[in-house]
Amino acid sequence: MIKSQPTSPAFQKALLGWGMVVVGFAVLLWFIAGWWNQSEQATDAQKLLIGAGFLLTVLGTARVANLFVNTTHPVVGFTPAALTLLLVVVTAEALLRAYQVPPGLIPTPSRVVATLFEVRDVLLRDAFQTVVLQALVGYLIGSSLGVGVALLVSRFVFLERGLLPYATVFSSIPIVALAPVLVKMVGIDWQSKAVIVAITVFFPVVINTFRGLTEVSPLSLDLMRSYAAGELQQYRWLRLPNALPFVFNALKLGTTLAMIGAIVGEFFGANGQGLGFRIQIEAGRFGFDIVWSAIIVASVIGIAWYNLVAWLERRLTGWHVSYRE
Amino acid sequence: MTRISVNLVPMLVVAVIALALYWPLMYLANIPAAQRALDTGAALPCKTAVECATQLRSPVLPSPEQLWRGFGNLMFPLYSPNAISINAAVTALETIVGLLLAAIVGFFFAIGIVASRAFERSLLPWIVASQTVPIIAIAPMLVVLLGQYGVQGWIPKAIIAAYIAFFPIAIGVAKGLRSPDPLSLDLMKTYNASHWQTYLKLRFPASVPYLFTAFKVAMAAALIGAIVAEISTISFHGIGKMLAENSRASDVVAMWVIMISSAVLGILLVALVNWVERLATPWRRAKPANKPVVGKPGMPQKRGVG
Repeated sequence: MIKSQPTSPAFQKALLGWGMVVVGFAVLLWFIAGWWNQSEQATDAQKLLIGAGFLLTVLGTARVANLFVNTTHPVVGFTPAALTLLLVVVTAEALLRAYQVPPGLIPTPSRVVATLFEVRDVLLRDAFQTVVLQALVGYLIGSSLGVGVALLVSRFVFLERGLLPYATVFSSIPIVALAPVLVKMVGIDWQSKAVIVAITVFFPVVINTFRGLTEVSPLSLDLMRSYAAGELQQYRWLRLPNALPFVFNALKLGTTLAMIGAIVGEFFGANGQGLGFRIQIEAGRFGFDIVWSAIIVASVIGIAWYNLVAWLERRLTGWHVSYRE
Repeated sequence: MTRISVNLVPMLVVAVIALALYWPLMYLANIPAAQRALDTGAALPCKTAVECATQLRSPVLPSPEQLWRGFGNLMFPLYSPNAISINAAVTALETIVGLLLAAIVGFFFAIGIVASRAFERSLLPWIVASQTVPIIAIAPMLVVLLGQYGVQGWIPKAIIAAYIAFFPIAIGVAKGLRSPDPLSLDLMKTYNASHWQTYLKLRFPASVPYLFTAFKVAMAAALIGAIVAEISTISFHGIGKMLAENSRASDVVAMWVIMISSAVLGILLVALVNWVERLATPWRRAKPANKPVVGKPGMPQKRGVG
């Protein structure tokens, strides 16, 4: 008899991986469903069951992730990450219910999602203020100023010697210490937070862009000289392309710095709106379900922003060594 | 050393220009505020707005004399619990412990990212996401949770510092481990080097410069983490505690003094990393300068091969 086609080794491996994931999730979900309205701690055997389900899903996810290693499609390639998130959320739900952790300390994920849906209007308005007005405006100002200053500094040796040491020094200053002073100086509206974000983003961009503009291979520089390339051409065809990966590195780090800067800035005074303001107020009232909802909103926006910059980076610097494998 | 002396004159010129601009800026910023204070009849020991500009209780920009006096108030007596020196030492301890923790965790994540695409696919998006989570929201919960297991005081702050510092280390080291060019990797393959040998002989040495660059960023980040943790939890020592206290009391001059002191602390901590870098990588010191810009003609670039 001839064996049927689908039972090739690769197919069997995929089946095993997905099978482990499905069984593991089934165990965890079965426990959660059974313990939905209980108010006492689970028995040791049930806790052990949660551990077994978690372990099974981890191993299964590792196998499944191997199947997606060479996927280039961005949505399909996201499957392992989505599984990891699902695993963490489901396990957290099961553990919190098994140990009956009070919701004032850590709310269960299901409760957080329900709250997120309830207060979505308020959080969206907060997000607009924090992200669009504060983080984005500050980010754009800070990074464009940073690139401009780096261009000047790379061109004039005096500026390089006089300004760059200060830029290096300033980038090691903790921005949180800057925030209260700037809020007192500029006011409690969104402008003060935009200034904080701009300052935070500025220094890494200057330093990275400068390194990219100056760390040029001597061979290429010689080539430009032998072509009698002017200063402008040197920048256009050699220095700027060479700087792009460095700039994008700074811009990627800048997205997270901008979010943190805007949110931390709001802790020292806000006009009654904003994600940071919401988090601080609700954390003080032990309303951790709203805090986590705000964290989810901030994280989703932060991830989207980072990926947008990373996508731009791939489009513009696809030729760089770190993408060739 | 030669680099510092080359930079000294331009740096001094810039510093003098900045200082010379400070006085006019300070008057420009403070005179409207002083005029408003006079108009509302505040009790000030001065008559005109120009005189009052240097003596406001909450100035927009404090005058140098005010800063000097504020610094004296917060610095002495040296061992009082409200002195900057002790609080800065506590924050520095939290930051350094946090950085070491972050280095261990970040290194393992970096190896995982480089060694296994599956690991990268399933975890990297969430490592990035973890950085956008405002730590202040997690800090109180973390402190309560750790407190149940008897972990208190400065350790929760070090953990929060590590949480914010491990991201630059993980990303930087991953970039460094990937930095060897394809030629060198091919050479390792022709030598039939094992996976581990490739890491030990090629990837780890290649990642050292990236590692220290990442450490500098991470040190600044860890300091931010430690200060935010001190602000958002109950703490009895630290720069963050002083900042929160004076922000509540609206003591603007003290806030400026603390800001400048924490800036100095950040600079010292990064200088510490620089010093360790020079000790750890003596071969990099031997280069003429760390600015490989001007290529001399007829000097081909060497491809480093382990």
